[in-house]
Amino acid sequence: MTVQPSPASSTGESTDTTPMIVGRNLQKEYKRGSEPGRIGRLLGRSDPPAVRALDEVSISVANGEIVGLAGPSGSGKSTLLHILAGLELPTEGTVTFQETALNSLSRRERTRHRLEHVGVIFQHFHLLKSLSARANVALPLVELGVSKSERRQRATALLERVGLEDRITHRPGELSGGEQQRVAIARALVTDPKLVVADEPTGELDSETGKRVLNEFRRVAEDRAVILASHDRPTLRIADRVVRLQDGTISDQETEFESTSIHTQGE
Amino acid sequence: MSLIGGLVTRLRVSGGLAFSQLRHHKLRLSLAIIGVALAVLATTLLAGAGIGVIDIGEQQFDSADRDLWVTGGETQITTRGGGGFENSLYDSRSVSEEMETHEEVRHAIPLAFETVYVAADETGDFETFIGSGVRGGGPAVSVTEGEQFGGDPHYANGTYEGEMSHEILIDEETARALDIDIGDTVHVGGSLSMARDNEFTVVGISPTFEQMLGTPTVTMPLSELHQVTSTTENEPATFITITLEDGASQEAVQSDLQDSFPEYDIRSDDEQLEAVLQEQVLVLAAGGALVVLAAVSGGALTLNLLALVVYQQRREFAALKAQGISSVILVATVVGQGLMIGILGGLLGLALTPLGVTFLNELAAFVVGFEGLVQTSPQIYFWGITIAVCIGTIAAAVAGWRVGRTPPLEHL
Repeated sequence: MTVQPSPASSTGESTDTTPMIVGRNLQKEYKRGSEPGRIGRLLGRSDPPAVRALDEVSISVANGEIVGLAGPSGSGKSTLLHILAGLELPTEGTVTFQETALNSLSRRERTRHRLEHVGVIFQHFHLLKSLSARANVALPLVELGVSKSERRQRATALLERVGLEDRITHRPGELSGGEQQRVAIARALVTDPKLVVADEPTGELDSETGKRVLNEFRRVAEDRAVILASHDRPTLRIADRVVRLQDGTISDQETEFESTSIHTQGE
Repeated sequence: MSLIGGLVTRLRVSGGLAFSQLRHHKLRLSLAIIGVALAVLATTLLAGAGIGVIDIGEQQFDSADRDLWVTGGETQITTRGGGGFENSLYDSRSVSEEMETHEEVRHAIPLAFETVYVAADETGDFETFIGSGVRGGGPAVSVTEGEQFGGDPHYANGTYEGEMSHEILIDEETARALDIDIGDTVHVGGSLSMARDNEFTVVGISPTFEQMLGTPTVTMPLSELHQVTSTTENEPATFITITLEDGASQEAVQSDLQDSFPEYDIRSDDEQLEAVLQEQVLVLAAGGALVVLAAVSGGALTLNLLALVVYQQRREFAALKAQGISSVILVATVVGQGLMIGILGGLLGLALTPLGVTFLNELAAFVVGFEGLVQTSPQIYFWGITIAVCIGTIAAAVAGWRVGRTPPLEHL
């Protein structure tokens, strides 16, 4: 099944329908277990069985669009997310980011591609515990050769934007789960990526904190494409459309996923 | 930003990251530093002991004031009794007299070490000591208290019918062990019955042979040592020491004597010391093995801790790689931590070395009477810090290599 960008976001805002990223006929197979070595082959060990995580999946996401990936565990949503982010390559099929075919890039080029164009957010935040919130956010800018003063300035601005202006010098251990996730969002945005991917971004948060984090995603999506993988319905409500996966294939697409307006208390 | 400027920035950030990571994990840092410091300390102390042994050996040979040393084979440590050298040079009296006929040889003096039983009284518990036999007193034996024994009258031109002096020198360790002092008597013999029958009077305290052999000794006239060990028949000796006439050429005399006495090894001070050390190859190998083991275990400990660092931060590093941060920063961060651990551990090890040297020297002086057994030099400190830095760098390189190779998704 091929899933095209929706003509307009469910918030009613206009959306640039030019695809930011397109995946065509994506297949991904994993070997279950390790390949036998020479001795293993001599002893008659055969190749481990292959497991197909994705099967003929095509998807495109436009600038300004939030796409949710839904499905049960093992359905392939994380695999699809990783392939679209350039973290791994499909066994078959192509991924095109704007006009760049990710399959044609070397590992180093894909790393650079992620640095410049992709922001990645994880369920467990994965911040360096020894660094302050600002230093964590600023770290990717070192790789881009940004000067120290500009790194501090951009990191501070992003932390202020996600409501952490009074937590700038705090270390992750001194922050709540929601605050850590907002630091992780700021880190993902600090290079001003065109695509943001998030894997279960509210999985570690309580519902109130989750709402606040999701509001950040809404703001993030203003001028970029966002892909969220989650099996949490409230999280998926902010998506313009939800692509549902089942056993590695797209089983359904919902473009009317209830109201997407989510507000935290006091807003 | 230029390529070099970018690299410098990355390295500077990696250094800061490494420093903050270490500071954040103080217990882990302390353990790693202690591990490297112990490796450095083991290296500097063992190397210092090696230098000290050679230096003391040279001093002993110099203070013996002999020009040549004659042995009847390898100067091996004997396994009998409390230890000592094998006496493989027989008929030492006649051989030394023959050597003295060389016109440029002033003295050729046999020197024997035998294991003997010693007790403060004939009914007491006998202990084994090294009995040293010298022909008369002289400058070869230094006395710190009391007096030398006088000559070797019992020899009586090879008849062994002269009167025994029954005078003996002991060292401080022997005095402590037997609770005796100058003027007391001891029983000495090569067998228990011989020891019960031979009573000697302590006339002085001499550290000479205790320091040479590193074990407590009693020193008596050569003929009386041969008498109480029942070896007057073949008069064995460990060495014949040769003093040359003033102006004589050591090399020429050594060559002449070697030609005339091919069955014996005739060596200079340095050659003899070298021969003694070479024959202690097991001891040297054990010391070397300890240094290697110390360095390897220091390296293994540091590698283990850095591997732990990498393991504990695997998800954070993976997340950064997923974000597009190249392996350079992450590897440099791990390597930076290894280097800092190596340098800090090395400096701590070097700072502890003088304390260790003092402790070991006091212990050695108390146990075997050697002063300054462990000695250090700038080279030892240099190699100590070099080993520490190598340990840190190698451990960090291995750990960093793993960081660089691990795909980000493996830990996410």
